[in-house]
Amino acid sequence: MASTTSDAVVETRALTKRYSNGIVAVDGLNLVVRRGEVYGFLGPNGAGKTTTLRMLLGLIRPTSGSATAAGAAPGTPQSLEKVGAMVEAPAFYPYMTGYDNLRMLAIYNGVPVSRVDATLEQVELTPRARHKFSTYSMGMKQRLGIAACLLKQPELLILDEPTNGLDPQGMVDVRNLIIELGKGDRTVLVSSHLLGEVEQMCTRIGVIQKGKLVAEGTIDELRGSASLFIRAQPAEKALSVLAEACGADKVKGDGDGAFSLSVDLSRTAELNRLLVQSGVDVTELRENERSLEDVFMELTGTEAGL
Amino acid sequence: MRAFSGELFKTVRRISVWVCVVGLLAAAVTIGYAIPWIAETFAKNVQGLPAGVTLADLKIQLYPANFIRYTLQQWSSLGGVFALIVGVLLQGSEYGWGTVKTLYTQYDGRLTMLFGKLGALFSIVVLMVVSLFAVDAVSSAGAALLDGKSLDFPAAGVILEGVGAMILIFGFWAGFGFILATAFRQSAMAIGLGLAYALVVEGLIFGLGSLLGDWVKKIQEWFPIANTGYLADAFGRTNIRGLTANITPYADATHAITVLLIYVVAFVAISALLVRRRDVTS
Repeated sequence: MASTTSDAVVETRALTKRYSNGIVAVDGLNLVVRRGEVYGFLGPNGAGKTTTLRMLLGLIRPTSGSATAAGAAPGTPQSLEKVGAMVEAPAFYPYMTGYDNLRMLAIYNGVPVSRVDATLEQVELTPRARHKFSTYSMGMKQRLGIAACLLKQPELLILDEPTNGLDPQGMVDVRNLIIELGKGDRTVLVSSHLLGEVEQMCTRIGVIQKGKLVAEGTIDELRGSASLFIRAQPAEKALSVLAEACGADKVKGDGDGAFSLSVDLSRTAELNRLLVQSGVDVTELRENERSLEDVFMELTGTEAGL
Repeated sequence: MRAFSGELFKTVRRISVWVCVVGLLAAAVTIGYAIPWIAETFAKNVQGLPAGVTLADLKIQLYPANFIRYTLQQWSSLGGVFALIVGVLLQGSEYGWGTVKTLYTQYDGRLTMLFGKLGALFSIVVLMVVSLFAVDAVSSAGAALLDGKSLDFPAAGVILEGVGAMILIFGFWAGFGFILATAFRQSAMAIGLGLAYALVVEGLIFGLGSLLGDWVKKIQEWFPIANTGYLADAFGRTNIRGLTANITPYADATHAITVLLIYVVAFVAISALLVRRRDVTS
């Protein structure tokens, strides 16, 4: 296998999954998640997020390409011993209590049973630990799923849409928990189609669309530099002044006297003065910051979940 | 070992497994001993018995000396159905609950998980068989005491052979259920097909086929249910006064054991192949 990026905890190279019905769920994906990051894997439903995560866990075999998770091939004991994962809805044995479900997994992983109480405490599920899993609400099931991930004290957490199906309070709780878990050396790879939560939780984001990584970077990098928005009348006169001051290629007319200018924001006062001195009425002048939603929609051509 | 311990931990907490075990034991006591003893003690004017044979003569089957062969004859197929259901439950439910992905993302590899589960299944099969013989031994002693008959049990060696034979028979049934559940990734179809085969298919094929001649018997000797019968028959039939006993089985115990072991090994190998190669997409 090819050597991996030195601090990469997750790395995929041309990872591809083509199903027997011809659908290409993941198409030549190159992804690097570095140690200590909370990496948001963002994409609309059906973009290939879950298939990618399943391949990183060895649940699905790639058609071609390769991957490593926590320094080893996905699905091998060497990888799994360092990985805690929750893929889609958490699945446990309904006839057993939350405590017994975790105890069973502790036995499987050779983890001391004392870890069970500690992880239940960590996800604030101790009061319901002795109740059967089948009686749990969606939020409690998600929290038990996260507790199961934490049993092994993994260096890599893989969470697939962890706030799915939760009420607003549950979403906030899980989000805060993930932020907390991402502190320190632990790496978290979390998939979501919710921009707001990715924005709050993640240090870096990868956007996937139709199985391909279409953008990657920090939130600021993805947004790009801010521009200046001006609304002024008469429009022709305003355009002439702005083009002369900034260069025609920096000015984009949005119609109805609205302009977007790709200029340093420190020139705001100067441009305002020039327009007014030229007899142009300036009715609006502000920083025009692209939201992550704008970026997402540009990249994926879809409307983001909010 | 950890996978085995984990599987055993959850298996013993599952009520449906105990329903199968207790159901088998309850059937063994009621259908195997209580109802026959009551019928053979109190029924009058029974038609169809050969001349000179009384209901009391039939009760010899219920006494301790015959409890091994009686248990094997009676439960090698019917009891096997309980083992089949346990085999299906242990594997099929994992797909139904989606817990396959939970298990496969733990520390051990898929095959270790599989063998841990098979170990737990084997433990339950042993428990079922030992409990079945224990319950039948106590029931036969009860029947003998009520009738004032001898409490002579078969030799320890015969008892061990009987238990071993039944473990192989139940092991086949449990393995059959396990592979059906693995293949279909669910419990309902696996139980349906398993029961259909156990109760109808093989009996129907060879019941009609036997009309075609002895060559059908030659084929049948490689089929599983026939071999569970051959193995049970290898322990002999109870000699009831006035009725034909000691019929010679079509194939001997060695043949039956070999064939059943081939089936069990094949079930394990195919299950391992399926578990190892298939994607987990649900």
